[in-house]
Parts: sequence; C-alpha cells; structure tokens
Amino acid sequence: MKKLIGFVFKLVRRVITIGVVAFVLTFGIYMSNAENKLIYDVVRPFLTKHYDKQARDRRI
Amino acid sequence: MKEKLISFIDKKLQRFDPVWLAENGLGGQRTRYRDDGSGIARYREWRGVEDTFQDYVAWLKNVGYMGAMVARDPVKVMKGIWEYRWMGSFLGSFAFVDRIYEGYRGRELDIANIHGNAIVRILTLRIGLILHNDKRLGGGEMTDKMIGLDETIPPLFTAGFPTLNAEPMQTMPEFVVCDVDQHLDPYYIDVAESYGLAPDVCSRCSAETGVAIDDAFPVFGKLVLSTNQPCNASEATSMFQRRRFRQKGIEDYPFVFAMQHNTKNGNDYSREELRQAIEKIEEVYNVKYDWNALFEKAKNMNHQNQIELEKWEIFATPFSPLSGINESLYKLVEWALVNGHDEYFNEIDDKVIGIMRQAVRDQYQPYKGKTRHRAFLWGPSAMYYTDFPTWAQNCWGIDIVLNMDSTMGHNMINTEDPEQALTDLAKFSEKGVMRHHAVGGWDNVNAVWEWANRLNCDMVICNDNVACKGMNGVHALLEEQAADLGFDFLFLPHDLEDCRTIPRKEIRKAVNDYMMIVKGEEPLDATLVDFDDAEAW
Amino acid sequence: MHDLKHTLFFETLLEEPFNDLVKQAVEDGDVALGYNCYYIPETLLNLPGSFSSRLRAPNCSTTPIGDYYLTNRNCPYTRAILERAVEGSYNYLSALFGAEACSAMERMEEHFEQISPVKHDPFVTTIIDAPLKNDRAALVYYMNELRDKVLANLATLGIDTSDDALLAAIKDHNEVSAIITEIGDFRKLDNPTVTGYEFHLIQLVSEVCPHKLILPYLRETLEEIRDRAPDAKPEFRARVILAGSEIDDPEFTKLLEFCGARVVGDRYCFGSVPSREQIEVREGESPFEAICRHYLETNLCARFMSEEKIDQRTDVLEAMVKEYKADGVVVESMKFCEFWSYEKVLASHILSEERGIPTCQIEKDYTLTGAGQLRTRFQAFVEGLEIKRLEKTGKGATS
Repeated sequence: MKKLIGFVFKLVRRVITIGVVAFVLTFGIYMSNAENKLIYDVVRPFLTKHYDKQARDRRI
Repeated sequence: MKEKLISFIDKKLQRFDPVWLAENGLGGQRTRYRDDGSGIARYREWRGVEDTFQDYVAWLKNVGYMGAMVARDPVKVMKGIWEYRWMGSFLGSFAFVDRIYEGYRGRELDIANIHGNAIVRILTLRIGLILHNDKRLGGGEMTDKMIGLDETIPPLFTAGFPTLNAEPMQTMPEFVVCDVDQHLDPYYIDVAESYGLAPDVCSRCSAETGVAIDDAFPVFGKLVLSTNQPCNASEATSMFQRRRFRQKGIEDYPFVFAMQHNTKNGNDYSREELRQAIEKIEEVYNVKYDWNALFEKAKNMNHQNQIELEKWEIFATPFSPLSGINESLYKLVEWALVNGHDEYFNEIDDKVIGIMRQAVRDQYQPYKGKTRHRAFLWGPSAMYYTDFPTWAQNCWGIDIVLNMDSTMGHNMINTEDPEQALTDLAKFSEKGVMRHHAVGGWDNVNAVWEWANRLNCDMVICNDNVACKGMNGVHALLEEQAADLGFDFLFLPHDLEDCRTIPRKEIRKAVNDYMMIVKGEEPLDATLVDFDDAEAW
Repeated sequence: MHDLKHTLFFETLLEEPFNDLVKQAVEDGDVALGYNCYYIPETLLNLPGSFSSRLRAPNCSTTPIGDYYLTNRNCPYTRAILERAVEGSYNYLSALFGAEACSAMERMEEHFEQISPVKHDPFVTTIIDAPLKNDRAALVYYMNELRDKVLANLATLGIDTSDDALLAAIKDHNEVSAIITEIGDFRKLDNPTVTGYEFHLIQLVSEVCPHKLILPYLRETLEEIRDRAPDAKPEFRARVILAGSEIDDPEFTKLLEFCGARVVGDRYCFGSVPSREQIEVREGESPFEAICRHYLETNLCARFMSEEKIDQRTDVLEAMVKEYKADGVVVESMKFCEFWSYEKVLASHILSEERGIPTCQIEKDYTLTGAGQLRTRFQAFVEGLEIKRLEKTGKGATS
C-alpha cells in the first residue's frame, strides 16, 4: 500500500513537473513570440531562397 | 480570493497591456512591435491574466491542430512545403491569428478564439487532405475521388456525392493564403504579367492565372468545375486554368451562374446549370447523386443560416461581441469552404450564438465601450489587409458591424423534395463570395443603405478595389447616395491581392484622413495611426 | 486605286451618332434603338418602323463626366459613351438595349437609367443577362431574356414584333450581310480591291445607320468595287487579320495600313466577323428562335467559357488567316478590358506557339492616343512578317 501511494505520489509529481515545465516552455514561447520570430527570421528566408531557385514548368 | 489575486496581477502587469498604455497615453499596440516593418512583435499582447491565459490556450490548440496535420502524413506535408511556395506562406498563420484579434478582450476574445480555432482546424484538415492526395506528391487513396471546384462555387451541392470529396482549387494556393501573407500573391501576379497579362485586371484573378502558369496548383481528381463566379475576370482566368488542369489530365467543366441573379430567368438558368453540373460529375465519376445525403448536409446549412439570421438581429444592437474580421473571416470560411459539410461548425455556431444572446441580456459593451462609429463594410475587401477592421476599431473606434460578403446566400434549402432543393440550391449558390451585391445590377449595390439602416450604422466604408470594373462603375452614384442619405461615407482604396499597388499604410491613410480632417476626431491609440508594416506577412 | 464614290460620305456619317441618315429616319417616324454589344441581336431592332443604332463616341478625346461616374480606371469605350450621352449625342434614341456581357458595359448602361442622360420621350433602358455557353439551357435563357426585356419593350414602344415582322428583319439582315460579305470577299484577292480602312467604314455605317437608308449606298459601293481595278503594284507589305474588342474607329485601321499592313480580316466587336453571316430559319424554328440561336452560335465574345466556344475563337481566326491569306494576326485589347486582356494573351499564345501564326499583341485606348507607340509596334510587326515571307519564298535569304 505504501508502495502504491509512493508510486502514485511520484506519478503525480512527475505529471505536475512535466506539466509545469511544458507550461513554462510553451508559455515562454507564446509570450516571447518566439515561433514567429524563428519563422520570420530563419525559416522563411531559407524557404524563399529555395523557392526562388526552383525550376518550374512555366507555360500557358 | 482568486479574483483578488487576478486583479492584483493585472494591476502589476498593466504596463504591458497595450490597451491600458493607449488609454494612458503611454504607448499602444505598436509599442511592442519591432520597428523594422516586419510586423513581428517583440512579445505577445498582454491582455490581463484571464484573457491572456485564454488566448494562450487557443494558441496551444492551434499548435495542436498544426501538429496533428503534420503527424498524419509528415512526409507529404514536408514535401508540400518544399514544393509549393504558398505552403511556405502558411507558416505565417500564428502571426496572422494574433494580428486579426489584436486588442480583443472579454467576450470578443472568447468568440474570436472559438472561431480562430475552428478556422485553423478546418484549414489544417483540408490542407492535409489535399497534400496527402496530391498526385504530384505521390497521391493517396482519395486522389481519384476528389472533385476540384473553383473556390467560389459553394460546395454544398456536392454533399450529394458522399463517396467523393470536393476541394476548392484556389483557396489554398492563392486565396486564403493571401490573408496570411501579403507578399505571396505579388509573386504569382508577376508570373502572369510576365506572360503579357495586363496589370489593370483584377489581381485575384491575375494571381490565380499566375498559379496556373507557374504550375503551382495541387493535382487531384478527374474533374474541375470552373465558373464565372464572381465576375468577368474570374471567367477569363478560368480559361487559363483549364489549360493547366488539362495538361495534368484533369477535365474541365464550366459551371456557370446567371450574373443577374435576382430574376426568375436567372434563377431558372442557374438551376439548369446546377443540374447539368451534377450530371457531369455523375458521368465522370460513374456515381449516382444521393439526394438524402444532400438533405443531411443541407440541414446543417439551414441551421447555420437560421443562426446567421439571428446574429443579424443582434448585430443591430450595440451589444454584439461579434463583429469585424472575427465575424467576416469565420463566415467566409464557414460559408464558402465548409458550406454545411461539417457538423462541427454547427456546434461552434450554437456556442457563439449562446454568448451573443447572453451579451444582449447583459447589455454588454463590446470593445470596452469605445466604439464611436458603427460601419458597414461594402464591396470586396483587400485580401492582404484582413486585419483592417481590427485596426479600424483599435485606432478609431470604428466597429465594422458587418461586411458585404457576410450577406451571402442565406435562403433555406428544402430537405425533402429534390426539385425544390435544386431551385433553392441554385438561388443559394448564385449569391456567392464577392457576388451577392457586387454584380447583377445597381439594385444589388444600392442595397447597402438598407443594410446600413437595418444594422443601425452611421458609417459606410466602401472597399474600392482599383481593378474592379463593376464596382468602379458605381463610384459616383454611391457617393451621391451617401450624401443624400446623410451617411459618413468613404472609399477604401486597395488592389485586392497586390499589396504593392496600394500598401496597407495607404489604406489606413484614407481612414486617418477622413477621421482627422472630416470628423475631427482623435485616435484611440496614437501608435496605430502611422506605422510601417510593408515587410510584414 | 481610285477613291470609292461614297468614301467621304461614309466618313461623314461616322462623324456623329446622329448623322444625316439617322436624322432622316427619325424624321420619317422610325424609332431609333440603341445597343452596344453583339449579345443584343441587331436584327431584333431592325423591325418595320424601327432601326438599330450601335453606339459609338466618335472624336471623344476626353471623358471627365465618364471618369466621374465610372472612374478613370474603367473601360474607355464605356466612359466615352456615357460622356457622349450626357452631352446629348443620343437624344434621338427611344431605347438602349444593354447586355451584362461585361461589368463595365453593364454599369455604363445602368447610368442611362440612373441619371437619365438621354432626353427623349419615351426612353427605356433594359439590360439582359448574357449566357456564357452555347447549349440548350443557354439558348433558352438567352431567348427568355430577349423576349422579356427586348421584345416586351419594343411592344411598349409600339413596334410590331410578330413573326412576319421578324421575318422581314431577317430578310433585311441577310440582304445587308450578303452585300457586306461580298465586299469583304474582295479582301481575299491576292491584290485586294478594297482596303481594310474602306471596309471598316462600310461595315460601321451598316451598324450605325438605318438599313433601309444605307442600303442603296452599299449596293452602289458593291457595284463599284466589282469593277474596281486594283493597284498595279500592291501598296502593302503584309496581310493581317485584326482581332480585338471595341474597335469602332476606322482611323485605327488606317494607322495599321499606313504602317504597311493590309487589314484583310476584321474579327472584333464592331467587325463583320461575327455579324454579317446569313440567318437561317430552320424547320420547326420560329423566326425569334432562329435569330437567338444564330446570335448565340456566331457570337465570338471573349467571355464564353465552354470549350467549344473557347476553341471557336481561335479556330475562326486560324480559318480567316487561311481564307484571307493573311501573314499574321494583330490582337488588340482595350485598356482596362478584363476579357480581352486575357484573350489577347491566350489567343496570341495559341496562334503563335501552337498554330504557327505570327501574332502581335497590342493594348490601346478607345481613342487613338499613343498612336506613335502603336505605329512603331506595327512597323516592326510588318517588317517581321515581310522578312518571314521573303525567307519562305527564298527571296530574302541572307548569306
């Protein structure tokens, strides 16, 4: 019984820890607008370069 | 206790709240943005504990929807991003959601996030489906069971083919993505113009032509229904697009509607066209039209329209927490893309109308009671400035009560008699996007005053798409009518999908000039009057 | 070639909408009926006691009123027509029959009702919706629209719309068309005995004047051309087909011919293709149905969306190139014209890339502003055609 309580306690603690870490992480990303900064400053310029180099089957 | 704590935190953090900053002359919405014209905020909007948390949860949901789309078929999604320039533009979706709901608080934000999540959900589902079945990316189990529809054909009638899936051709590569990224369509417009297309044609259709020439349409299905909706340029661009579809082995069938859609002759013609389009699909896919399947989805559509009519009643009051882009974008997606096919949207409608009813009961003051003018937005809006209504409210207290496009087909569809259903569907379908009031004669345009009166508006803002020959042709008549009827009236110049011709900044200037010079009013948020967002998505 | 006897007279008739023949017909008690577009069958308006008048705005150099109502970023033809309407040029009309073929035209025609520029009693305006295909449903729609909006209004103006009257109108149409077609056929000769400019004049007067009054002149002109001796040495360096939108200014054709081309075919809104084909009343068909079917079948408007109509547009041009032995095609689009902006690109692509016919694309205003630029384009095109022909015949091979 004690073991079980210990396990449950651990599980709850782990879930809470994961939850808190996940919250801090995602809320941090959210509030700092990190995903938009990353996309705007890094991902899109990279993709645009790629698109500009693409050979497309252009015709009417 | 909880309320006290929240109130304490709110007080401590209010200096990060742009609305509070504007109220106190210490800054405003633009304070938190980078000053490089990128439209990227240094940090997200602090809206107070409750609203910020609610918005954060909505953001998480959107992350979840996007993650789910990738998880369903990561290879195809990655291939899609690599193949299609327009897929890259969808990466701006998070910023887009922030932009359109900027400054929202309380019940406006509640509804905005319900709507925003629904929109992201449906778009990710549909993009995922298209990429999964795109022949160019390897194809999928539905590839040959898909029907390509011109995006302006309301897809409800295709519910009678439950084993098939109708997808709009242009919505993802050109239309809705222009809402997200103003810099995408100029690329396709340039492609079309490099082949000799005149720069004075409608930029939406020019962009579609560019997508066709650039071979950037996803490839699926055996048949594409092209159309004359909403207007001349759409008819003309269809002729380019059909060539590309045919090069890909996809047949094209023009499904046309009467331009003069308020006449019996016109309705009869559209009805006959609808019948022929159904027959064409039956022939190409070797399936039989299932009226009962249509009736099931038509019930959804009727439910949606019943709620819509009730919403209009609430819009006429000063208590509606639903207005502006929150109203029109959702309506556009729900009407033009979903069109009764997805019961989930009925649930959303039920939820939202509940909030609205409560707002009326509580005599709720939306936008913290800062609305100074109630405006009807007439004419086709600039796709590259979707957040204009949000800006108008935040900067000048102009509440865009309703948008012309939100008045699309709202007649009920018979759910028992196929012949009557066909008549109702034809009527419903011919009053589509950018069409219900913009084509078919002066009376349709002139209905603006009736709408403005009905919704207790004191202002009419008329979108002035510089390349729209039909709406250009009523310029002086509208202006004269406005003067006679005593409305505040202004034209909002734009070039629909080409942000280079008339940038957002110039659009804002038209309003700024009117509000400052004609009305002599002061802005609610001085940081929003003049700012640079030329490089923003 | 010597000048045609009536060239000057025809030119004068085209100077003003209310020309001497129109004036005479109105004074004789005939009802003048205006229209702008091929979707309104001219034949339906040329009934006993009435005559059609296709609206032009000759010499309209500025359009401040048109710009005010329709904005200066709209079709210049429609702006010019509205300008002229407000100036009073169409006060002889009893009706304007419009077609929602394109938005610009439709809006302009609406202004005839909204601001009442035509001072004539009675004056009616009506606008039909125009189908985009040529199938049974489209024909039924077209007939319903023409019956309810055109025939019904004609009846209120006291015009006889019986089958006999319609048969008489078909006869009149066929007679005018036969003469014009025969005159036009002289453009097929290796050394044509009629110039593109002259033909343009002839075709235009047949569209803007009462048929019964212009017919004697047309007959006489035909006789004259039958006996006309061609120039000993052709003046032109290349033969071209002119395709496009509202080209109602013969000076434009003259400009093209001045640059060394001979316009041997006219496939534009005011041209003879389509418009001067014979109307046939088939068995079981009423005259009204025959007229409607004929106009829907022959209509080559750039707005048609069905496959056979899209193909028909370039097929007709290709056939004309062969029939009239043309060296190339000039495809024109009017500024701000949605349909022809697209059609110009598409037709040029199909003709030049897929069917090997040299093509020149140009964009112009309604009036001949920018003539200098056009001249340069035409000269270059004609030169190119000439070189191609010389290379083909081996005469121009360079070492």
